[in-house]
Order: sequence, then structure tokens, then C-alpha cells
Amino acid sequence: MIWVSERLYKAQIPIFLQAIFILLMLVEFFFTVPKSIIDLNVTLRSFVPIVSAAAIMLGVVLLTISHIKKISSRGEGWYYSIIYLASLIITASFGLISVRDFTFRWIYNNMTAPIGVALYSLTAFYITSAAYRVFRARNFDATVLLVCAFIVLMMLIPVGAAILPPVVPVGEWLRSFPSSAGFRGMIIGTSLGIIGLGVRILVGRQREHLGIREEGRG
Amino acid sequence: MAMIIAGRAMGLASMLIVAASILLYMRRSLAGKLPNLRRLPAVDVIDEILGRCVEMGRPAWYLMDNTDMTTPSVLAPTVAAFQILSYTARRAARLGAKFFVPVTQGLAYTIASEIVEEAYKAEDKAEDYDPLETVKYLTDGADRMYILNHMWSERIGGAFFLGSWYHKAVIFTENAARVGAVSLGGTDTTHNIPFLVAVCDYSIIGEELYALGAYVSQDPIQSSSIAGQDVGKYLAILLILIGSVLLTLEIDITTIFKI
Repeated sequence: MIWVSERLYKAQIPIFLQAIFILLMLVEFFFTVPKSIIDLNVTLRSFVPIVSAAAIMLGVVLLTISHIKKISSRGEGWYYSIIYLASLIITASFGLISVRDFTFRWIYNNMTAPIGVALYSLTAFYITSAAYRVFRARNFDATVLLVCAFIVLMMLIPVGAAILPPVVPVGEWLRSFPSSAGFRGMIIGTSLGIIGLGVRILVGRQREHLGIREEGRG
Repeated sequence: MAMIIAGRAMGLASMLIVAASILLYMRRSLAGKLPNLRRLPAVDVIDEILGRCVEMGRPAWYLMDNTDMTTPSVLAPTVAAFQILSYTARRAARLGAKFFVPVTQGLAYTIASEIVEEAYKAEDKAEDYDPLETVKYLTDGADRMYILNHMWSERIGGAFFLGSWYHKAVIFTENAARVGAVSLGGTDTTHNIPFLVAVCDYSIIGEELYALGAYVSQDPIQSSSIAGQDVGKYLAILLILIGSVLLTLEIDITTIFKI
């Protein structure tokens, strides 16, 4: 009996609700519907950030417990956990007073944002080393890739057209036709995959994202 | 008043045709008529990576990058990545691989925790699941340093880069390659597919992300839905051909049919 009730609240009710919500959103997107349905969908969508914020709280609490445990057990790099706790307490305190508070914004604009930008800038270096790893003429396919990449790179750098003028039309052609055709094919395939995913979720066959796995599978 | 919103009739018709063909194949599979499906090499790669990690005594990581489920374009690949996570976590539990899933969004974190915990329970390995360490919430932004640092300190043996990937794709995959981890990458964000294909040892492209999820579900009805998607491909090919002919003849069909 307990198993039946657990299955009901954990599997059947969420599957039933998600099917209704999917149909409501689809109907609103494709058809002219009464304002009451639009209002209902707006209300439903407004639940998403609320649920998401509650989930963040859970994540932060568990992360904090993990760091406290690390400090108490003097695990490797435990002193970084102290920095985490201090940062959390200071930032959260100012944020709770007001997110428009000068100090809170100062912390974000002068500490969080620059660190993020600095890390983002790493991308350029990693792209270079990844390109070095990939652009080797090991076989025919890799050679085609190497030649195309060279032409497009030469086209994009300012001095490229001056050194090799033909790279501009050839590079433009590569980007406009073979590259675009490939990407559009990928987008069509992806869209079909998403429809398939939607149908599986709608009929309740795909349920792993609900944390449900039928016994016997896997 | 028109029932269908202007400009969306064609989209609706296409979606209904594809959805109907998917449902038809799923229904046929219920009657025991299973379509022939090409086995995706990535299915074997999952076991290979996890097996390698067990042999080397190194952890396997499952990363999903952007898991902001409030963004529609991110939601679909994230849900697909969750399905593969369910299978991968279960295989990791079965093989005894140390498994780690960092997540940067609250909603996705709770779902991932639930999936991995259920997977460990299904394999009777609930004691191996650590609610604080197996799936970990990392604040977005800080996750990059944490992941880069721990990739090196823990010397990961394998990594899965599945879901909706953006600029972190190249940073994480390149570091995983340098640390000697075997990796499987897959995303549907077209501008990052090249990085995953270039750097990862194995890759799945675009719709294969969704197909892999259905394939590893071990559910013949779900797998059959992949065959239904092929009808959509034939439809797309047909429409492209018709469109090419009409464009060559300079016929604008939208002036004839108000779609």
C-alpha cells in the first residue's frame, strides 16, 4: 500500500501534471486562446523561478554543510572552505539588507564579475591549444579541416586578405555554403530530437528526469 | 478569428506529422514490432570510460555545463543529459566507479541528486552514494576554478560532457584531455559542437544526444521513437527539394497559401 502511494505521488501525479502543462503551453503557442488560458500559463511560468530559487537554497545549504565538514575534519585544502564560508556570510548579509545596496553591488562589480571575466578569457588560450591538437594532417578528413580552417582564419585576420587575396571569396563561400548547410542539417536533426523527447515526456515514457527508473531497465 | 496563429500553421502541421509518426512507431513496438536501430557507438563508450576509471582507480565526472532549466533552449538538452546521467550513474554504481556530478543550477541540482541517488539504490549501492559529495552544487562562475583545480588534483580518469554547452566546453574538455581523461562529449549547441568533436575522444552530435538518451533507457518503446523521427527527416528532405525547385522557378508559395 505504501509502495502504491509512493508511486502515485512520485510517478503518476508528476507525469499527469507535466502532460497537462505541455498541452497548455502548446495550445497557447499555436492557437488563439482565451485570455484565461494565457493568464494561467503566465502564472505557471512564474512558478519556475520560485521553485528554482528554493532549489538553490537546498544546494547552498548542502554545499555549506560539505565545507563545514571539511573544516572540522581538516580535509585537504580546508582553509579554502573558510574563505567560502566568510564570502557566503558577508555577501549574503549585504544581499539580504538590499540587493541594491552599494556594498553588495561593489562586491559583485569589483570581485565576482572580474573573476568571471578573467576565467572567461582563458577560453582563447584553450582554443589555441585545442586547435594545435586538432589541426594536424593525419588523414584526408583532417587535412580538409586543416585547409578550410587556414583559409577562414586568413580571411578573418586583417592582414590575411593582403597576403592572400583569394582567401576572402573562398572563405566566404566556405562559411556561406558547406558550413551553413552542415549546421542547418544539424539544427533540423536536433529539432526532430527535441520533438521526440517532447512526445516521450508527454506520453510518460521518459521519466528519468523525475528521478524514476523502472525496475528491470538498465 | 483564425484558430491558428498566423505563420505557425506549417510548424504545427510538421510537428503533428512527426509526433504522429513517433507515436505510431511506439505503438508498433508495444505490439512487438521493433524497428532496426543502428547501435550508437557512444553506448559502449560509456562502459569503456567507466571501466577505465575503475581499473585506474580514478574518478569519472559527469558535467552538464548550462543547466538553467528556465531557458527553453537549455531545457531540452538538459533533460536529455539527465536521461543519460541515469544510465551512466547506474553503470558507475554497478562497476564501482567513483562518480562525481557538479551542477551549477539549483533546480537541475535537485533533479540530478534524485537521479543519481535512485541509480545507486537500483544497484543496491546506496551506501556508495554520498549526498554531499557525489552530486555537488557549485555556484555558477565559481564552478570553473573548482572543476579545473579538482580535475588536476583528483587526476580524473574519464569525463562526460553532455547537455547544453557554451564557452566552458573548450576550457573543461581541453583540461580533461591534458590530465589524461578519456572523454565523451555531446551537445546540441551548434557553435560548440566543433570544440567537443575536436577535443573529446568520443563525441555525439546534435540529435544523437536525444537518441542516446532513448537508446540507453533499455526501453524498446522509447527506442522505437527514434525510428519515428526519421519520418521527420524524410519530410525535411522533401521540403528542401520542393523549396529549392520553387526558389529556382521564383515561385513564392507564401503568397499563394497564407501560412
